[in-house]
This record gives sequence, structure tokens and C-alpha cells, in this order.
Amino acid sequence: MKKAVKVIIARLGMDAHWRGSVVVARAIRDAGNEVVYMGNQMPDAIVETAIQEDADVIGLSSLSGNHLILAPEVVKLLQENDLKDTIVMVGGTIPPDDVPKLKKMGVAEVFGPGSSLKDIVNFVRKAGKT
Amino acid sequence: MSSKLFNQDSIKKCDDARDRWKQKVSEFEKKTNNDEEHKTLSGIPVEPMYTPEHVADMDYIDDLGFPGEAPFVRGVHPTMYRGRTWTMRQLAGFGTPEHSNERYKLLLKEGATGINGIFDYPTLRGYDSTDPMARADCGRGGVAIDTLEDMETLFDGIPLEKVSSSLVTCQPICNITIQSMYFANARNRGVPLNNLIGTSQNDFLMETCMATAPGVSPPSFAFKLSCDAIEFCAKYAKRWNPVSFAGYNYRETGCTAPQEVAFVISNALACAEEMIKRGLDIDDFASRLSFFMSGHNDFFEEIAKYRAARRVWAKIMKERYNPKNPRSMAFRFHVQTAGVALTAQQPLNNIARSAYHAMAAVLGGAQSVHVDGYDEGLCIPTELSSITALRVNQILQLETGVTRTIDPLGGSYFVESLTNQLEEQIMKIIYDVDLAGGIVKATETGRIHRNISDAAYEYQQNIETGKMSVVGVNCNVIENEVLPIELFELPETVSVQEKKLNKIKKERSAAAVQKALDAISRCCDEENNLMEVIVEFVQANITEGEITKKLREKYGIWDPPLF
Repeated sequence: MKKAVKVIIARLGMDAHWRGSVVVARAIRDAGNEVVYMGNQMPDAIVETAIQEDADVIGLSSLSGNHLILAPEVVKLLQENDLKDTIVMVGGTIPPDDVPKLKKMGVAEVFGPGSSLKDIVNFVRKAGKT
Repeated sequence: MSSKLFNQDSIKKCDDARDRWKQKVSEFEKKTNNDEEHKTLSGIPVEPMYTPEHVADMDYIDDLGFPGEAPFVRGVHPTMYRGRTWTMRQLAGFGTPEHSNERYKLLLKEGATGINGIFDYPTLRGYDSTDPMARADCGRGGVAIDTLEDMETLFDGIPLEKVSSSLVTCQPICNITIQSMYFANARNRGVPLNNLIGTSQNDFLMETCMATAPGVSPPSFAFKLSCDAIEFCAKYAKRWNPVSFAGYNYRETGCTAPQEVAFVISNALACAEEMIKRGLDIDDFASRLSFFMSGHNDFFEEIAKYRAARRVWAKIMKERYNPKNPRSMAFRFHVQTAGVALTAQQPLNNIARSAYHAMAAVLGGAQSVHVDGYDEGLCIPTELSSITALRVNQILQLETGVTRTIDPLGGSYFVESLTNQLEEQIMKIIYDVDLAGGIVKATETGRIHRNISDAAYEYQQNIETGKMSVVGVNCNVIENEVLPIELFELPETVSVQEKKLNKIKKERSAAAVQKALDAISRCCDEENNLMEVIVEFVQANITEGEITKKLREKYGIWDPPLF
């Protein structure tokens, strides 16, 4: 019996596109994990929920191009709240050059356009073991 | 009195011969992946070939007719592209109004024949650029507009009565103010509203189902706002299309081709009902209900989809409202090539994809076409990708010869058969939505969200399993690909808009602003048409955010049932 990983999925800022985030949330849930789907949020609300829910992973979705501003804020707020074990992954329309930037800022993994659900689910499963 | 296209003897002969042929060749047929039946993207089984028997039950005059006449299957205009080619309407908008005005002018200079202006995320949601929620999205995905002054800048130097403008004000909460600003700007420039040509998107499903974001209006309120604009235009801006049912976005969110058509038509029918309830005659507004469709991968299914949409709309309008003006039954539509079908990998491949999408759109009889940029899967278009996309549109129009004859695939056994099958499926979904209490009710219960989410999930599963090929993603991959293109860099926007807003707030009359906000409140309380009031009061340099805040105080917000 695999342990269910608790994952928060949120869309950053005002980005209106939900297709990716909902499809990913469903795949993670179908693989036996627990998903809290938050819809659109700003970093402080996301981290507040992560504290309340004791989340293992936070998945941040963005298409609008706001990821370099808002995703690092989530990482920073997690550190400030001493949630070092909560892992952040980012998905959506992320240009390749932004991937190393996000990782340098503390994002554990980035799933850009064309990523496979299997890879995302595997990443979540591994994250739950740490 | 129906008259079949073929006589029964011919069909019988054809039938027998086809069976013999099928037996002979079936063992050589290559099965698709997983030994599945051949199917269209929406799951309609496809035969190895089509013969007269597939269309044997059709009556030419009733089922197809002639361009410009009901049921409009062959086209909405009598001469189609021989009389007037489709409008080349490339989407544009980013950063400040100054940046976007420059891009509009560049596209027009390079031969675009209409404007297609998109607004940034905060504007689409009714927030000012300076709102704390907006700080990371200002100028992204479209242009930032806060006040009437911004609208003046955006259309500076563009002749409003000559160039048609499509305002991609997706959500009614945005449209009610932004369209009012466009109209107010026209009045200030001395252009009568009845001379304005253009379209606003203004689709309540965009607000509540497709592109949800902070502060979603309750469906019934979003619907009311949308209808306020339709009613206003029917009275004062008769050449304006006050709504463009955004099937394109439904499709991008996950819908199948039949769902895309069924949901736009269900939505349009709800608007028609509401307008009649408000005392308008069907012919006062129906010819101005316009549609915005996707041009996706399945070439023949897309062509059949457009043809089926025209027939369904004409049939239902005739049956339910029996309008006197045939234009009230004509399904007029813009096409944008499908962004969701484009890849971030090997982005130059997208030029080929979008060209196929656009060709399907014009073989299907579109009134205007936007071709996506090759960088669509990564960012908003650079100047080079915008111009390249416009050139794809121009090559299609000027070099391929597709404009020479009307509905060139009409009469293809396959295309006609597929058109009939799609019509059947579209009708079934429209009927289901009717049974669920109509589109507003079906949205409130989360039914539409579920339908779309299920279809999106299945689409992704088909990519995962390889059932659906995506070149560069699940096949023909380039390992460690280096991106061969430059990407768009957003120019500084927030600080520029902030300066303008501060200046306006300092200079405007506080009393006039208060008077405007009070008038809007009163209009909400009395349940009158909000556009009539907002068109007047944007003159007080009241901001979009201030207006929206007032509306949200009155009508509240809604949490869409997405997951």
C-alpha cells in the first residue's frame, strides 16, 4: 500500500487557463494521492494552505508568463515559515531558458509544455518518500 | 417534397460493388495504433472510402442549398470569397496601450485588414494595473487598459469607422467597461455609434467556465452583463457584433468539435431567449450574434464542423423563431488556428500546422481568420512571428487558389457524410443542455465544466499512450533541442500604468467619480441595463477596477466547480 502524497495545485496570479492544472490534478489523484485544488491564488494564500494542509508538494501552474515573479515568492515564503520539506514544482508554458532560473530559485522541478503526466506522477511519488 | 440525390438502383449497385471491393482490400489495411478503428479527433469512425450511398438520403435543396441562402451550409454570403475575401485579423496586444497601438499599426501597414485586440489578464478580469492581485500579470497576454484615456491611446490614429475592430473582451465583466470605453472614445471623436464596425467577445461562458480567475461573476450575473451589451448594441450600435460566442476557447479548454459547436449554439439560444424576454424582436439582434471557432488538427472534421454548425444554427433558428430576415439564421464566424495543437518543441513546425488549420477554416467558409504565431506554445508573438503568421494568411488568400470557387469540398461523399454525423452529435448535445435547463443552469451545476474536463483528460491520455501523434513531443523528438527562435520580452508596463493612474486620480473630479459610482450602484439596484450607464460615466475617468468593484459589491463572486 503506497502512502498517498498530499499535493496542492494552484494557478499563479491571474492566469486564467485551467486545462493543464486540472488535467494534472486529476492524474495525480487517479494515482492514489490527495489533491487540494486551489484555483487562482497569490503566493501568501498558497503557503498558508500548505501550512494548514501539511502538504508534501505544491504544484504551481502558469501560462501567462508570471512564473518568474510569483513562483520564487512561494519558495521564499515556505522557507520563511520553516517548511523546508515541502517541494515546489512548476508547470505550464515555461520557456526553456527559464527552467534553470526557476531551479536556481529553489523550484524542485519544472514541467513545461509537452510534459507527460506519467513523469509528473512519478515525480510526486518520489517527492512523497523524502 | 423531398427528392433524393441518387436513385435506389444506382445505390444498390454501388453497395454490392463496394462490399466486393472491401473484402478484397481489407486484409491489406494498416490498422492505426492499438489496432483501433480509424476515428476522427472527436471519435467518429472513418470508413476506408465514401461512396454515393453515404449521402443517398440527402436532398440537395433542403440539406445544402446555395451560398447566402438558408440553411447556409455552402456559405453565408452569396459570392463568398469571390465577392469579398476573409478578413485577415491577427490577434495583437501586450504591454501598455502605446506598445499595442504601435503593433496594430504595424500589422495594418503589412496588409492586415482588421484589428483583433486582446487585453491583459487584469483587464480581462476587471482589475486595475495597480491592484495587488495584478502585479505579476500586468501587460501579459494582452494590453493593459485602466481608463478611457488608455483606450484613446490604444486606437490613436486608427480610423474607427473604416477599420473593423474585434475587442477580445472575453468576460462580460471586462466587456461592460472596455466596450463602453471604446464607444465613449468613438463619441468623443465624433463617430456615431451606428457607424462603428466590429465585434466584442463578451461571452458569459468565458467568465464562468473557460478562463476562470480571481473574482468570477456568478453565471446568472455574467449572463445578464453579456445581454446588456447585446441589447445596447441592438438599439444604438447596429453594425456592431456585441457578442462572439467563443467556441475557440471552449476547444482550447478541452471540448471536442461537436461540443464546441453545441455549446456556442446553446449559449446563443439562451441570449436570444433573453432578448425576446426584454421585448426585442428576433430580427433586431439575431443577425449580429457572431461566433468564434477553433481551427484544429483534424482537417476534414474541422471543415465538416463549420458546415454542420451553419446548418444546425439555421435549422434551429427557423424552427424556434422563424425570423423574417434570413441573415438572422446565418452562422457567421471568425477562426483562430488552434494554439493547443501547437508545440513548444521544434516551434518552426507550427508554421506548417497553423497553415493547415487556416486552410481548413477557409475551406469551411470562415469570415475572418487569425493564424497563430510559431512561438504560440512558448510566449506571445514577437514581431517576426506576428508578421510570419500574417504572411501565412496572405499566402493562403493570394497564392493557393482556394478563393476561386465556393465550398469546394461540398459534394465530397466523405465531407457531406461527416457533416451529417457531426450535425447529429451537435443536435444531441444541444438537446441535452436544453434538458438540463439551458446553458446558464448547466454551468451553475458544473455540468459543462465536467464535460470539458473529461474531454481534456481523455485528449491528454491519447497523447500519453501515443494514440495521438504530436510531432516533436511523442514522436520525431530532437534530443537536447536548442530553441531556434528568439522569445518575446515583455516591456515595462506596471510602472508606466501606475504613473498614469496616479496622475488621472489626482486630476479628475472626485465629485464626478462619486456621481458615476452612485449611478452604477443605482442601476444595479434597479436592474437596468448597465452599459447605458457605464458608457456615459467612463467620461469621468473612472477606472475599470473601480467599476468592477462596484459590480462585485452588488452581485458577489462565484467559485467555479472545476475539480
